[in-house]
Amino acid sequence: MTALATQSLSPSLDRLREAFERRFPGDDAITQWRRGALERFLELGFPTQRDERWKYTNLRRLEMRKFTPADAPRIVPPLPGTLSDASLRVALVDGHCMPSLGHGAQPPGITMFGLGQWLKNDPAEVAAYLRRLGPDPESAFENLNAAFLEDGLVIDVAAGTQWDEPIYVVHAWHTSGRMAHPRIVVRLGENSRCTLIEHYIGGAQVESFTNAVITIEAQTGACLEHYRLQQESPKTFHISTVRARLAKDAHYYGHEIALGAGLGRADITGLLEGPGAEMKLRGLFAPTGSQHLDTYTRIEHIAPYTTSEEEFRGIADGRGRGVFNGKVKVHPHAQRIDARQLSRNLLLSPTAEIDTKPELEIYANDVKCSHGATTGQLDATALFYLRSRGIDADTARALLIRAFAESILTSIEPKGLRETLEEWLTQRFSRTEAQA
Amino acid sequence: MLKVSDLHVRVDGKQILNGLNLEVRAGEVHAIMGPNGSGKSTLVQVLAGREGYEVTQGSATYLGKDLLSLPPEERAREGVFLAFQYPVEIPGVNNVYLLKAALNAARKHRGLPEVDAFEFLALVREKMKFMQMDESFLNRGVNEGFSGGEKKRNEILQMMVLEPTLALLDETDSGLDIDALRVVANGVNSLRRADRAIVMVTHYQRLLEHIVPDYVHVLSDGRIVKSGDKSLALELERRGYDWVKQAAA
Repeated sequence: MTALATQSLSPSLDRLREAFERRFPGDDAITQWRRGALERFLELGFPTQRDERWKYTNLRRLEMRKFTPADAPRIVPPLPGTLSDASLRVALVDGHCMPSLGHGAQPPGITMFGLGQWLKNDPAEVAAYLRRLGPDPESAFENLNAAFLEDGLVIDVAAGTQWDEPIYVVHAWHTSGRMAHPRIVVRLGENSRCTLIEHYIGGAQVESFTNAVITIEAQTGACLEHYRLQQESPKTFHISTVRARLAKDAHYYGHEIALGAGLGRADITGLLEGPGAEMKLRGLFAPTGSQHLDTYTRIEHIAPYTTSEEEFRGIADGRGRGVFNGKVKVHPHAQRIDARQLSRNLLLSPTAEIDTKPELEIYANDVKCSHGATTGQLDATALFYLRSRGIDADTARALLIRAFAESILTSIEPKGLRETLEEWLTQRFSRTEAQA
Repeated sequence: MLKVSDLHVRVDGKQILNGLNLEVRAGEVHAIMGPNGSGKSTLVQVLAGREGYEVTQGSATYLGKDLLSLPPEERAREGVFLAFQYPVEIPGVNNVYLLKAALNAARKHRGLPEVDAFEFLALVREKMKFMQMDESFLNRGVNEGFSGGEKKRNEILQMMVLEPTLALLDETDSGLDIDALRVVANGVNSLRRADRAIVMVTHYQRLLEHIVPDYVHVLSDGRIVKSGDKSLALELERRGYDWVKQAAA
């Protein structure tokens, strides 16, 4: 397998292979693991729209770019736009852990360390762990992430630990022209509970490619409240793959807010492996300009008595394009499951577009599955009602847009995060009329 | 206060108002009656500034201003209030928030400072009590999950808080049981004042037993075909609309 048929690779794949050879010349356990992932990635190539999972998203723009692996920045950049009320912060800049930008003490029962540091200290152990965790063999981007994996964060929550103060992880971009493949590993012991906020930010002029992978392993009775706010510059490419494995009675509550990036994609997989496991996803995506924001969810009800609930809302204006594709698979013998999905979409301009596609694959017979999808414009009667009460047209529009996002907003517990999103909504939509 | 002259209005390419004339002075209460489709609702909607209503001829002046040239929010701030026939449910926009924003918009327009939060709440509570509304309504979405009667009460509550100069009531009695009708009518009557005018559109005479008008007009085919005092309403109740139409033809 190591003798890759280089002559048959497309220029874009060949560039990545070359970048890999330059970056990782060695042959230790971790490099072997990386190489295996690279080979799988080269076999798969960049997904095309023929792939049902990528039906509405064309990756040509990404494929043509020549991003090289990012190094840790030599100077410590400032981090504007981060949440100010986080008591425990970990910062990754250009995909690399920057301990000097973090603050707060590790809570009792929670152990956090940089993945890069772990790789340095004990590459064989990391390789063994990652091999066991394994990238999804069908996911091109998970394999690409594994191939170029250099840094990230490991969060170990000991059994019985209950910690609700959010762990705030900032992913910031500083350098243009680079790609980063950070990985967050969350391991929750039995009956543990914690809250993780991931915040993706970067300078307005930074052109970059994020390919993040977040793996969550929740043991029996564990619970993760996971918030992800993607606010990268509209010049970036952003791919996030979240994979959560839930044991018996484990819960995953995900909040997926996609506002930034020129081309953004969140790929969220939930594997409900034990009875009583529950996955709840709430999401908001709001493309404008020429942004393309795609959310793909795949929930697998593997065990009986598992539940899932999804509510995704899209707001598109300008020439923005949004995609929500929600797949639910109920495995044979996964009886008495309950799966609900809701996709609501708002189009604010005639050139905006949102594609929504529910997919149900059911191989058990005693199940409750429901889905609903709507796409529409702002209600003209409601708009007139507000204006007839003295509210000006811009404010009335902003109020109705805000009202549309309300159910997602109210599901956000951490105050600073909710306020950041509220402020963003106010700023963005109070001027849509003027732009249009 | 309000002078509507030769008003012609088209909706979806269909002529609805055909040269309507109406003059309302301060302190007066006018009832506009007429059969379904005669243009009653169109008149108040067009006066409030609803989009999609095309004025092809005529004018409407309000306190000397060209009403039809103002956007709906300007009309509201100038003191025009429309109580909707079908108040809109707006989940996610809080009732009390809307009330406050509406009141402050009008105050700002008049060069007044924003209302004090404490005084505002006291005012709203008092009016709600008058309208026999539960305080829990305040923190719900605008009309969200309200019954038909609750929505109508909420319209009158808004009107009582905003204290308009010209109140337009669109079929405010429809869908109300007799107790709710009495509460709503009390609310409207409490607003009768020498410097305020009320124009109410209704299909039935029943509302006029509770809110006694100074003038009654009959609308047919987009024009006022007969005007009189409250006794005209009783006559309409007895004889129906056909005789007026025939008399006008």
